[in-house]
Amino acid sequence: MKVTFPHLGTMHIFCKAIAEASGIPYIVPPETSRKTLTLGVQHSNECICLPFKIILGNFIEALRMGADTIVMVGSGPPCRLGLYDLVQKVILEDMGLHYRWLTIPPRLTWQALWKNYEETKELKKELSWKNILLFPYGLRLGWKKMMACETLEKLAMRIRPREIQKGETQRRLKKALSMVDEAKTLRTLDQALERGKRLLQGTEQDVSRVPFKIAMVGELYTVMDPHINRGVEQKLGELGAEVTRSSWFSTHILRSLRRNKADQASERVRFFEASRAYLGYDVGAECNVSIGEAIVRAQEGFDGVVHLMPFACMPETTASGILTRVGKDWNIPILTLILDEQEIEGRIQTLLEAFVEMLQWKRKAG
Amino acid sequence: MSRYKNIMGNFLGIDVGSITTKMVVIDESHKLLAGLYLRNNGRPLETIQQGLAILASRLGDDQAIDGVATTGSARHLAAYLVGADLIKNEITAHSVAVIDLFPKTKTIFEIGGQDSKVILLREGVVVDFAMNTVCAAGTGSFLDQQAARLGISIEEFGRLALEAKHPVRVAGRCTVFAETDMIHKQQIGHSVEDIIGGLCDSLVKNYLNNVCRGKELLPPYVFQGGVAANQGIRKALERELETPMLIPEHFGLMGALGAAKLVKRAKPGRSRFKGFGLSKRSCTTRGFECNECGNQCEVVELLVDEQVVACWGDLCERYRRSYP
Repeated sequence: MKVTFPHLGTMHIFCKAIAEASGIPYIVPPETSRKTLTLGVQHSNECICLPFKIILGNFIEALRMGADTIVMVGSGPPCRLGLYDLVQKVILEDMGLHYRWLTIPPRLTWQALWKNYEETKELKKELSWKNILLFPYGLRLGWKKMMACETLEKLAMRIRPREIQKGETQRRLKKALSMVDEAKTLRTLDQALERGKRLLQGTEQDVSRVPFKIAMVGELYTVMDPHINRGVEQKLGELGAEVTRSSWFSTHILRSLRRNKADQASERVRFFEASRAYLGYDVGAECNVSIGEAIVRAQEGFDGVVHLMPFACMPETTASGILTRVGKDWNIPILTLILDEQEIEGRIQTLLEAFVEMLQWKRKAG
Repeated sequence: MSRYKNIMGNFLGIDVGSITTKMVVIDESHKLLAGLYLRNNGRPLETIQQGLAILASRLGDDQAIDGVATTGSARHLAAYLVGADLIKNEITAHSVAVIDLFPKTKTIFEIGGQDSKVILLREGVVVDFAMNTVCAAGTGSFLDQQAARLGISIEEFGRLALEAKHPVRVAGRCTVFAETDMIHKQQIGHSVEDIIGGLCDSLVKNYLNNVCRGKELLPPYVFQGGVAANQGIRKALERELETPMLIPEHFGLMGALGAAKLVKRAKPGRSRFKGFGLSKRSCTTRGFECNECGNQCEVVELLVDEQVVACWGDLCERYRRSYP
């Protein structure tokens, strides 16, 4: 058995940790590249969205490298994303690739548990007692690594707009994340996180700068994965904006575990409530949260909102229409970026530069 | 020509778009000394060199340039080549040029070769903008293509649109659909004028519905970019908005003009401009695919006189450098 998982932000770091600590063989798909995208595009319906194509590409590459078990998060309609696992299964089978599929249920329901039980029945035979005994430790290590990655990423978001040497924060973040990745035990992980934090804090900064505050909202894959959004978070930071986002792995996992008491989950409830002024209905996926977050950020005094969505994404297309109204009503500039497979990095750079410059003009005009 | 030699403070703005390259030289008082508009023919480097040669012949080889700014989608390429002091996105460059010229403007419509933008200004400040992202429907290159298909020049195209008696309906959402529709109309016997007129109407509707969606469009309107030369599009815009468009005298050069004004404001201490002599040197690019990691970046090297002067395109910045 060799498990694999898609690339999505820093997901591979903690998925790898879970597998490694429990002694389960794994394959990390090669970093998302042009080749990944080409494979994904070639084997999927033309009209499907960009995240689907990239994740499919990740799976094809991993399976060709010898992986035989795919672990994937499922969610459910109305967004197509919720049916990703089902459609991807069909495509991969049609391609003649052999593998087993393990869906991590988005909500802990009896139905999901039963499906999971069915899927894991075969797999369990291949797992040794050692694997099973070590699994809780693996989960704990994985969870802590995920939190460590998020801590580092959030720290980098604060430092980036203040860095003197453009790009230095990003270089240090990469190094810090790989230190977290390399930690094998809970104890060494704590040390790695501390070293990573120090490394990031060591970036030469101009603390007198007052960066713009920009919130990134939108479809979660597009917001969370720099390969899908062409590094919007980094670009905005390097243009002098302190970026905030509410989409993190921990947010979505806690949400699906219905741990609503956690701060992040209650934040989402707040966003959802705020969207009611414009939507009397849950459109699904992140739509309501995108709108609600833009409103809440405007109330909190943010300078702008960048809204990310894949081309032809239904919930976010709905959101983008409403966001133009929100921008006007709350007097907050909102930039919607639509991402697709084309090489539009230059265009994104142009739009982000113009956006930040617009904020500068606005600030100067008082 | 020698008239300008001793006047301090001449600034060059270069706007390298997808289809055309625009250059202007202004003096300290923002007076336009020279301006040119060239087609790239897919070779921006050669076009920039050609542009520099034309400027040199108009202004004199030894014309001093105190600052250079580049803008447009190939602004980085242009900057590496000529040695720019400022690299500015085209949205800001266009806004600056318009604000100086028509300070009361509230809306700028800019339609170029591949881009269409709308910029909202209030009291001389940009407050909102939008640009087409994934689709180039309704931009200059599509009009060019249709003119070529009909065997008429793009200049004639605009004139013919005005002669339309009953403009036909053409799907404007996507250029592929639009072309299918146009061919259908042609095959059932509609006149070329009516088809072109219909195309202009539908492109304008598409632009207003997509790029300008939800934006508060208030007059005075300024219409610029290469497509502003097209009478048909201009009239269709005026009809839709029921207001006349202000068209700047140098409507095609506004990006370059804005860039020149911006670099004049920035006042670089000593310009990095490599001089008009660049037009006589050999400038080429060379690309290779890096195999160090899975991303397989397409790395580009810029060579001047067989020497690598800049390198980019690599995600990891392994090769990236620029020699002054």
